[in-house]
Amino acid sequence: MLKVDKLSREFKSGDTVVKAVNDVSFSVGEGKFVSIIGRSGSGKSTLLTLLGALDKPNSGSIEVDGIDIAKISGKELNEYRAKKIGFIFQGYNLIPNLNAIENVMLAMEFGKYPTRSRKDRAKALLMQVGLNDTEMLRRPGKLSGGQQQRVAIARSLANNPKLILADEPTGNLDSQTGKVIFDLLHSLAKSEKTTIIAVTHDLEIAGKADEVYKLDDGKLKKGLK
Amino acid sequence: MNTYTRGIRNAFRNLIRTFSIVFILGLSVGLSIAMLVAHQTVSKKIASIKANVGNNVIISPAGVNGFQGGGNPLTNTQANQVSKLAHVSSAVETISDRFNNTNSNLVSAIDAGSLGRRFNSNPNSNFSGNLNFTPPVNALGTNSANAISSLATRNGETVSLTSGALFNGNSTDDVAIIGSSLASKNNLKVGSTFTAYNTSIKVVGIYTASTSFANNQVLMPLATLQNLSTQQGQLTEIILTVDSISNVDSVTNVVKNVLGSAADVTNSAQQAQNSITPLQNIQSISVISLIAATVSGGVIIFLTMVMIVRERRREIGVLKAIGASNAKVMEQFVTEATTLTFMGALVGMVVGFLSSNSITTLLANNSSSSSSMANRGFGGGGGRFLGGIRNNLSNLHAVVGWNVLLYGLLIALVIAVIGSALASMFIARIKPAEVMRVE
Repeated sequence: MLKVDKLSREFKSGDTVVKAVNDVSFSVGEGKFVSIIGRSGSGKSTLLTLLGALDKPNSGSIEVDGIDIAKISGKELNEYRAKKIGFIFQGYNLIPNLNAIENVMLAMEFGKYPTRSRKDRAKALLMQVGLNDTEMLRRPGKLSGGQQQRVAIARSLANNPKLILADEPTGNLDSQTGKVIFDLLHSLAKSEKTTIIAVTHDLEIAGKADEVYKLDDGKLKKGLK
Repeated sequence: MNTYTRGIRNAFRNLIRTFSIVFILGLSVGLSIAMLVAHQTVSKKIASIKANVGNNVIISPAGVNGFQGGGNPLTNTQANQVSKLAHVSSAVETISDRFNNTNSNLVSAIDAGSLGRRFNSNPNSNFSGNLNFTPPVNALGTNSANAISSLATRNGETVSLTSGALFNGNSTDDVAIIGSSLASKNNLKVGSTFTAYNTSIKVVGIYTASTSFANNQVLMPLATLQNLSTQQGQLTEIILTVDSISNVDSVTNVVKNVLGSAADVTNSAQQAQNSITPLQNIQSISVISLIAATVSGGVIIFLTMVMIVRERRREIGVLKAIGASNAKVMEQFVTEATTLTFMGALVGMVVGFLSSNSITTLLANNSSSSSSMANRGFGGGGGRFLGGIRNNLSNLHAVVGWNVLLYGLLIALVIAVIGSALASMFIARIKPAEVMRVE
């Protein structure tokens, strides 16, 4: 499903060149849950931005569902982001003046999901991640951190993506809620047959993934699990 | 919910800010509308002056100012000379006379008052003048086929025939058209008669004019009045109509050469220009203010949108990360800017509607006070014409029509486009990856 080959991304800071992602290669099968651990500045978020087609690599290729995303641009790139990828952010990043249902429907709008079915699917997804009817109608400001992250997860699933990229999905949550959210992601990977790549600091949570990689100074070390 | 709905809803995310922006934009659009109205009003007035003035060259006896000053009358011979000059399409000849209680039974409709007594005092009388003085009735003989329009051209005022008919200006009939005040004062109607120089004159028409002086006048065929007043062959004014406004100055110069020191020659184009200049100043001020107000509105909405875009960098990044194109995000922000601008336009229309007349009057008053010295005329020849158009500035009345309101909406649209298009450039430059790094 996902095949990364000799992927590199450099940043220039004055005369210094920082290799945030350095010759990384790995592949992940459909429905797998993969954790990437590493200390701050190890290149985890940069790797996610490359996988999510939010940035272009200096070299290497990223093949998702048969498409080399390093070579696409414009409309094709937007469609890839909308339909093939689901994003979960550490800070949730929900739109503050839209309620939970509208936040999920927003992703469907960009994924050109059929208009008539959007609301029903948004409600079904929110129910699936554990929000009740009242909570669905609340704006992010009226929801707890855990509930907001559940809405973010529902949003990431909105267009049946092949790949969900989660950047520190439990980073802003207490440990108990973090475990619940991680378990939720794990079960969704199985039920929705969606590949999930989650970046985390938490080794205990990371240990629950099918595969665990460690990123150290841009180099990926395989097979910690 | 689509992009447009989100854009409209986003316009109300911060109500205090929305109110402030709408209020300021309202003032900007309101001022634009007021300036547009002022410009339109003044433009119409200028067109009206130009239409009324025509391409006229006015010839008066040298040294005469109405019935003041001195000098000798013009003659029919001189009129024949100048009427045959190149580019002169017609010539209206007039003779002035005064009917008083020694030569007519007409009674003036104008009270002498202290001004009339003073103007008619002799050097030996005191300041209060001749207390027995009764104002005469001014009589004007004209060879014009339309004596009414002749009076309008001469005095630069609005004159219309209210009853009866015009006379033949080239006839020697003992007929007259009289002003409505004079008719009322002397109980005269169409078909009535009055006496002048022991001759019975039949009233064939009654007109109404925009000034009390003109409403107290008598119009008669040129030859009739010349004969009655024993001024055969004499004229007090010749008005030439020139074929094109571009030839008015050259004809004026030729007439001056032909008549030499015997006549004072002026043209209506110069006089009209004197009157139009302050109006043109208002036009310029209104155009500059219109542009400034519109650009200010654009700058306000631009700065607002730049602030909003900077505030929502993360949100824009998220929208792009979940598949929104630059165009979609811009569409949303343009809708937001347009919503704010149109709310401002609605407020602006109310502001413009309420303030247009006052602002136009204020501009006119300021311009009038600064130009009043330049426009002073005191009767006679060209000066008399100025007397008629002196009130142009104070007569301005602004009207806000539907077309102006549509222009207001157009101005708002321009403001929205200027403001949001520039802000959209900032949106396009926001990369979703940068937002991720902030996270």
